[in-house]
Amino acid sequence: MADLDTIERVKDIDVDKYKYGFTTEIESERAPKGLNEDTVRYISARKDEPQWLLDWRLEAYHRWLQMDEPTWARVNYPKIDFQDLYYYSAPKKTPGPKSLDEVDPELLAAYEKLGVPLREREILAGVEGAGTRVAVDAVFDSVSVVTTFKAELAKSGVIFCSFSEAVREHPELVKKYLGSVVPQADNYYAALNSAVFSDGSFVYIPPGTRCPMELSTYFRINEKNTGQFERTLIIADKGAYVSYLEGCTAPTRDENQLHAAVVELIAHDEAEIKYSTVQNWYPGDKEGKGGIYNFVTKRGDCRGHHSKISWTQVETGSAITWKYPSCILRGDYSRGEFYSIAISNGRQQVDSGTKMIHLGKNTSSRIISKGIAAGQSDNTYRGIVSAHRKATNARNFTQCDSLLIGDKCGAHTVPYIEAKTSTAQFEHEATTSKISDDQLFYCQARGLDQEEAVALIVNGFVRDVLQQLPMEFMAETQKLIGISLEGSVG
Amino acid sequence: MSLTLAPTAAETAYQGFALPHRRQEDWRWTDLRQLLDQAYPPTNGTKASAAEIDRLIATDALAPFARARLVFVDGAFDKARSKLPATGAITLEHLTHGAPPSSARGAYDDPLANLNDRFCRESLRLTVKAGTAEDAPIALVFVSTGHEAVTTCTRAQIIVEKGASATLLETHIGGAGAYVASSLIEASIGDDARLDRVKIAEDGQAAIHLASFHVKLGTQSSLNDFTLTQGAKATRQQTFATFTGQHSNIKVAGAYLLNGKQHADTKITVDHAVPHCTSRELFKCVMDDQARGIFQGKVVVRKDAQKTDGKQSSNALLLSETAEFDAKPELEIFADDVVCGHGATSGSLNDDYLFYLRARGIPEDEAKSLLIAAFASEAFDEVAHEAVREALGELTQGWLINRKPA
Amino acid sequence: MLEIKNLHASIEDENRAILNGINLTVNPGEVHAIMGPNGSGKSTLSYILSGREGYDVTDGEVLYKGQDLLEMSPDERAAKGVFLAFQYPIEIPGVATMQFLKVALNSQRKARGEGELSTPDFMRLVKEKSAALNISQEMLKRPVNVGFSGGEKKRAEILQMAVLEPSLCILDETDSGLDIDALKLVAEGVNKLRSPDRAMIVITHYQRLLDYIVPDQVHVLSKGRIVKSGGKELALELERNGYAEYVGDAA
Repeated sequence: MADLDTIERVKDIDVDKYKYGFTTEIESERAPKGLNEDTVRYISARKDEPQWLLDWRLEAYHRWLQMDEPTWARVNYPKIDFQDLYYYSAPKKTPGPKSLDEVDPELLAAYEKLGVPLREREILAGVEGAGTRVAVDAVFDSVSVVTTFKAELAKSGVIFCSFSEAVREHPELVKKYLGSVVPQADNYYAALNSAVFSDGSFVYIPPGTRCPMELSTYFRINEKNTGQFERTLIIADKGAYVSYLEGCTAPTRDENQLHAAVVELIAHDEAEIKYSTVQNWYPGDKEGKGGIYNFVTKRGDCRGHHSKISWTQVETGSAITWKYPSCILRGDYSRGEFYSIAISNGRQQVDSGTKMIHLGKNTSSRIISKGIAAGQSDNTYRGIVSAHRKATNARNFTQCDSLLIGDKCGAHTVPYIEAKTSTAQFEHEATTSKISDDQLFYCQARGLDQEEAVALIVNGFVRDVLQQLPMEFMAETQKLIGISLEGSVG
Repeated sequence: MSLTLAPTAAETAYQGFALPHRRQEDWRWTDLRQLLDQAYPPTNGTKASAAEIDRLIATDALAPFARARLVFVDGAFDKARSKLPATGAITLEHLTHGAPPSSARGAYDDPLANLNDRFCRESLRLTVKAGTAEDAPIALVFVSTGHEAVTTCTRAQIIVEKGASATLLETHIGGAGAYVASSLIEASIGDDARLDRVKIAEDGQAAIHLASFHVKLGTQSSLNDFTLTQGAKATRQQTFATFTGQHSNIKVAGAYLLNGKQHADTKITVDHAVPHCTSRELFKCVMDDQARGIFQGKVVVRKDAQKTDGKQSSNALLLSETAEFDAKPELEIFADDVVCGHGATSGSLNDDYLFYLRARGIPEDEAKSLLIAAFASEAFDEVAHEAVREALGELTQGWLINRKPA
Repeated sequence: MLEIKNLHASIEDENRAILNGINLTVNPGEVHAIMGPNGSGKSTLSYILSGREGYDVTDGEVLYKGQDLLEMSPDERAAKGVFLAFQYPIEIPGVATMQFLKVALNSQRKARGEGELSTPDFMRLVKEKSAALNISQEMLKRPVNVGFSGGEKKRAEILQMAVLEPSLCILDETDSGLDIDALKLVAEGVNKLRSPDRAMIVITHYQRLLDYIVPDQVHVLSKGRIVKSGGKELALELERNGYAEYVGDAA
């Protein structure tokens, strides 16, 4: 019904009038509230996109209209009114605090603990003048560094740019790979993202190239205003290697309630992609008011033989996390890894895990998931490991541990194991326990206060995953874990 | 998504009873709408000859061990073929005017129990009197002749009163024709009481076996449950066990010996509703040919059910490249001072084991049989009754002998 | 008893040569020690002799009592008297050690056309042999090697050897992981089995074991080839000088 109406309406619109009607809109900062075909057209026009991409978005929109919001995850939230949201807004110009003095002291205290440099704190807190305009130089001291940085990447043939830029400069690559891992109608939120994605990043590593640097620090700031519907596409061509870090250890305040990002990774023959995420968005207040709904679709396609995709995530923020970074192990001898730390406190709800889909021969996967539930939160691991009939000698090892802090939270484990060939060897282990009183006492007897002791023990609990993070983020993440668990004991 | 699906032939025969299907989470691997491929109307009593019935009953592997033996034929209690309990420790009631759900039934949505509620016309209630220890096992024998494509519904309520103990042997056997056997056992285990249950599911090769076992445990009580699944074309069996008193424990174990195109799905929910209880689940699943085994175990720890100790383990041994295993070992935990865990493995025979045995002179086929039997036997190690345990070993040997050499 | 002629072998799928032309003749009654640094191919040789999968014999032959050993399945070899004491004995859950021993012994007897041993006779045999190796009845009830300590595993291997009475015993690093008391116990067990019609190949990294099981001949294996052979004094020389002089020039 709904899409029929839309088609009829589009027919009625006089093409010129339609264009005109939107010119003024284009000059304005954001699309009108609500989502319809015009919104999609508006976003595409605003970004000067080619027709094929508009068509692609529209197809996604129509598929989305026919889909239902998934209800299988263990998360509860009031029904989202998708017509009550803005789907596009240019970088915000709303006045921010004039200086750090005006910033929420709690936020600043968190930065302090994390050891975030002063200049960076200003940007993160959205202090005017420190914001997006000069975002990059805050990190790199001067714009020239960015140029050097980009030049160095270009020298090795690496393409690293915003998604919009990639559409303009490398349309053939975008066209070839966009939606090839996460199709438009893969799921409700992916379809929504496909229709209205704002921007994101694009990475292409040419054959035989090892990306000369971690694609990380740059994003530490730049990611800030890419908006609710981010789209990331990373391609590692034959024999290429890239390590990509998304997010930021510092807490970021963001007014956007709903986030529905899509990340697609493609690894060709003998290529390797390491994708790390540190997510620390606003979790809502103590009563569970506010906070981000994070409904993300992340999937990697090990398309080539001997390819490897490794996901590492540290999830401490958001009111709701709905996220399953997955690997399709298509190429023979390909390997998928998922390392996860998910911490929930207060009233946070986490439903996260992975899918390892073994299709090729001699494929292997490894899942290490550490869930920590505190406060009144719910923390669920949900994952699938499956071996197709032709996936001979598939191997999986899964270790899935949960730690409960306090008696008002919940920790849940929902793994699915599907072995369709006898040659597959699957091993799955899961445990749930609490921090032992003996451990706590021992730490306290050595002079740690209870919170420090908990942080120390939890850091030990998640050690296997921490080690997977890029070096420079390990220390910060350790501190972040401590901060995330504040107020969970006592 | 609530789609209204046109009723299947089976649903029509069930007067519109909606069968669960794979779009429902608990039934994702066992789609009853598809499995019940024709109408299986509720039975109107057996049409089989006495000789046929006797021949089937004679195949009951657990027959030698029971002192009392209660036989059902095509859904009806067959008093003549039964041997009623002689001691005063057990009272037996034969309920013929409908069968109300017992208090053992949890608040679970159980379509199989609902189906049984709808069509079951008689049932037995066995009460083991307080303080009595009934050492000799009581056998329940469910025979489905398979004479017609019908559904036979059977049910029994077992009440083990305070301080009592009993051993229940349950055999499901059947003829070669297609039929649906619906079984419901509801058990209440009182304070300080104990129930041992051994079930052998050996329905005919064209049969569909649908069974639910609901059990509630009082304080300081225990349940030791074992199921061998060997028969039927398709099996779905469910256990819902709830602790209502503290310091109790549950052991639920099972073994699958499946071949051909057999399909067996076991779903177990252990509900730790109170503190200080222990549960153990162990399933050893052997699948050959194109057989498919499924294990879904769920341990629920309710809020304040502190000091819960719940462990679950399922291991699959796939003997053919086309055999299949699916598992969903689930933990749902709302209390912090708990020790819970699960392990699940799937794989083929271990080459190292095989080589070691062969290096000691044991021929390949024999070595394989030895390893398969050892694998399955770990599940019946917990069966307390020694002779019954040995009988399970012999059933395994029988299955191995019939196994076509690879 | 055993003639290895120009044996070349590699690991399947890897195409990496491990054995590069081994020649060795072992006569009845003899004890040969094979020593060599890690990675010289010692364990590969033992696995190929016992018939483990995963190796390609690319050249050469192995004759056992005049027959082509490599053509035989592992169980055939065992029935004909070839016994490998594993460096890492395999743990097999669910199979009781006693049951395992009985099935193995009777399988071998059956293959040789001998009658099965009755249960009381078998029990008596195992009891006698296990007492000498300080193996308790409780240990025999446990599943094969499951939960055994390193020393227990090695003693259990020697017990199997004593019960099965093979003609050719191959001991792969039987001394590894043993303390001195356990080592003496194991060596004693082995020495008891020395007889004019039985041959032994003792594979070891260290000379220590050879103080207790005195070999007739010692061979040095390096890079898949026997680079030096001599009497028991060769082992002492290796103990003093190490393998250095054999590692460099063998390739």
